[in-house]
Amino acid sequence: MFKHILASAGDINWMAIFALLTFFLLFVISAVTMFFKKQGFIDKMSNMPLDDATTESKK
Amino acid sequence: MSKIEQFSYDNATVKKFIIATVIFGVVGMLVGLIAALQLVFPAMNMGMAETTFGRIRPLHTNAAIFAFVGNGIFAGVYYSLQRLLKTRMFSDALSNIHFWGWQAIIAAAAITLPLGITSAKEYAELEWPIDIAIALVWVVFGINMFGTILKRRENHLYVAIWFYIATWVTVTVLHIGNNLELPVNMWKSYGVFAGVQDALVQWWYGHNAVAFFLTTPYLGLMYYFIPKAANRPVYSYKLSIIHFWALIFIYIWAGPHHLLYTSLPDWAQSLGMVFSLMLIAPSWGGMLNGLLTLRGAWDRVRRDPVLKFMVVAVTAYGMATLEGPMLSIKSVNAISHYTDWTIGHVHIGTLGWNGFLTFGMLYYLVPKMWGTKLYSTKLADTHFWIGTLGILFYAIPLYWAGWTQSLMWKEFLPEGILKYGNFLETVTQILPMYALRALGGTLYLGSVFVMIYNLMKTAGQGSFIPEEAAEAPARVVAASHKGEHWHRWIERRPVQMLVFSLIAVLIGGMVEIFPMLMIDDNVPKIASVKPYTPLELEGRDLYIREGCLGCHSQMIRPFRSETERYGEYSKSGEFIYDRPFLWGSKRTGPDLHRVGGKYPHSWHYNHMLEPTSTSPGSIMPPYPWLLEDDLDVSQTAAKIRTLQALGTPYPPRYDEIAVEDLQKQASQIAENLKKEGIEQEGLAQKEIIAIIAYLQRLGTDINPGPQAGN
Repeated sequence: MFKHILASAGDINWMAIFALLTFFLLFVISAVTMFFKKQGFIDKMSNMPLDDATTESKK
Repeated sequence: MSKIEQFSYDNATVKKFIIATVIFGVVGMLVGLIAALQLVFPAMNMGMAETTFGRIRPLHTNAAIFAFVGNGIFAGVYYSLQRLLKTRMFSDALSNIHFWGWQAIIAAAAITLPLGITSAKEYAELEWPIDIAIALVWVVFGINMFGTILKRRENHLYVAIWFYIATWVTVTVLHIGNNLELPVNMWKSYGVFAGVQDALVQWWYGHNAVAFFLTTPYLGLMYYFIPKAANRPVYSYKLSIIHFWALIFIYIWAGPHHLLYTSLPDWAQSLGMVFSLMLIAPSWGGMLNGLLTLRGAWDRVRRDPVLKFMVVAVTAYGMATLEGPMLSIKSVNAISHYTDWTIGHVHIGTLGWNGFLTFGMLYYLVPKMWGTKLYSTKLADTHFWIGTLGILFYAIPLYWAGWTQSLMWKEFLPEGILKYGNFLETVTQILPMYALRALGGTLYLGSVFVMIYNLMKTAGQGSFIPEEAAEAPARVVAASHKGEHWHRWIERRPVQMLVFSLIAVLIGGMVEIFPMLMIDDNVPKIASVKPYTPLELEGRDLYIREGCLGCHSQMIRPFRSETERYGEYSKSGEFIYDRPFLWGSKRTGPDLHRVGGKYPHSWHYNHMLEPTSTSPGSIMPPYPWLLEDDLDVSQTAAKIRTLQALGTPYPPRYDEIAVEDLQKQASQIAENLKKEGIEQEGLAQKEIIAIIAYLQRLGTDINPGPQAGN
């Protein structure tokens, strides 16, 4: 019955495969690029919350 | 080096949101506590329509989610966004409109929900005019946030801001998608989706309301406030980025785990289950990142109440996000669904994760913004320990109740009949657990008052800094250069960030929902399933008004223990005229899908007047007003017209004779009641007749026999 429902919805297999590939690519690319990022940049980003730039905090 | 610019941060808006967070925290929890007590002492329903469990339960959930947590999100976002971007909020006027607009919506919810004005969709109960107001205020928030991002002095967007952007984008999509409805009048509408499709869209929304209102913004707050409070950078910025993309992409798929073993097609159920299991990875990535930020600083957790609250919050997040996927496994869900296990699970998230992170944030913000120290660390510790005990006393009894009740529902005697055939036995068994849960709620709420006293004293000893002076170099827009990382390119460009987040969340939503909508004509239809008669329709709307679905499901799962107790399992074709679907998600009372024809009319009449008269020991509140108030038929024709516009096949111009038909059926039922010994003046005009008509119709279409009123 569900086979019939899916069949009559048109060819939607590409959507599932597209979604899987997108996720896979997104995950791998973000993991790989993060891995190779310069430590200096990572340090700068991770320290961002610690600097309020308030005149109080600069004293 | 560019010129150093002087500016100030707006603390006044943050202060307003903080006050609103605290006030609505107390209100939301108090309403929740009353609802919890009503389950133990039904007299607490107070004999008024406006205060019955069915109506205040959505008030509690809406207040806790959108008023308490919502204001908490805005307080944290308005504070952290300015500081992370080294700029003031885009517009003070928009900040004000946002604040007052949001409070006005909360006030509208607090008035309409007890009045029974509801669309019956969990966590989206508010009717269409309020939905529009929410959309407008949300857009104001969006303009203010993106305006701030655009005028920033910092080139790069810290990960917390990505979470805020993803939250804004996704909540917008969810809110619109789940509230597509056609108004009947100012306070009533019918959704464009019906039955199984409505269910899928609702839980796509419902689950992601948890994901993108209770989780992603709070992860953003975690990534800002934990490093801030611990005075050390986040454990792994790399992990935060990977966990961000994985989380927003996967979360959006998980909705169907709320509909396992229902009439939702199997493929959608499996999709929901698989993605829910995958969610463990990014969720735990976030939890570990939060906890490991404190590596080497655990001694401070002992001393600093802010960190204490945050550590328990993040741990609760980890527990809830491990438990969630476990509950999404079909065989586990077969036990947990419809029981208090789910309620326990949800409250680990709300009381532990959202509540404690909010408290930690408030203990950090108030001394900072009032330029002083916390009035009493001892009192904060007291709050912490009583609150933690409160969570345990809340959740553990509910886990126990859930398991106990589920096992009782499923237990058979060697003869092959249900051991606890009377549903009520499984309810009275767990009442002591309900009492303990109410105790847990009382402890938690009580501890919040300790915090309020402490924060007021703190504010009293300091003086509020409405404008915090700051200085930072003007932003130099860096030109992109060859070989730069794609992600660095994105995070400098908030608009692209928005588009990418939108694509990530839309893919999941579309793949799941698209086939369900495309197959409109292919949901297996059942020839004998007909639209509701006008009287049944009015009865159904009363069922919605009274919030019956808060305690009664209308979805019999294909288990022997359920078909034995309730009758034939529910088929998707039976719900094609259900706008909205009323499957429910909790059985405090029995399932009602096959209640039609099970009892005589007089049983329902007496049961509504005084539930314990027909079901001794029942904790259902009485509904005497249904017997006293006349049914309002002034909107019946308009309702029929709206449903016709949505595709319900009533005959042409049926609206003109709908009320006449309604009255005919009502007099038949009243006549039957009279024969059964119920004497009441003007009975045929009363609301109870419509409710009886609806209940007697429920689930009878697949087995056409004598129907209500005949």
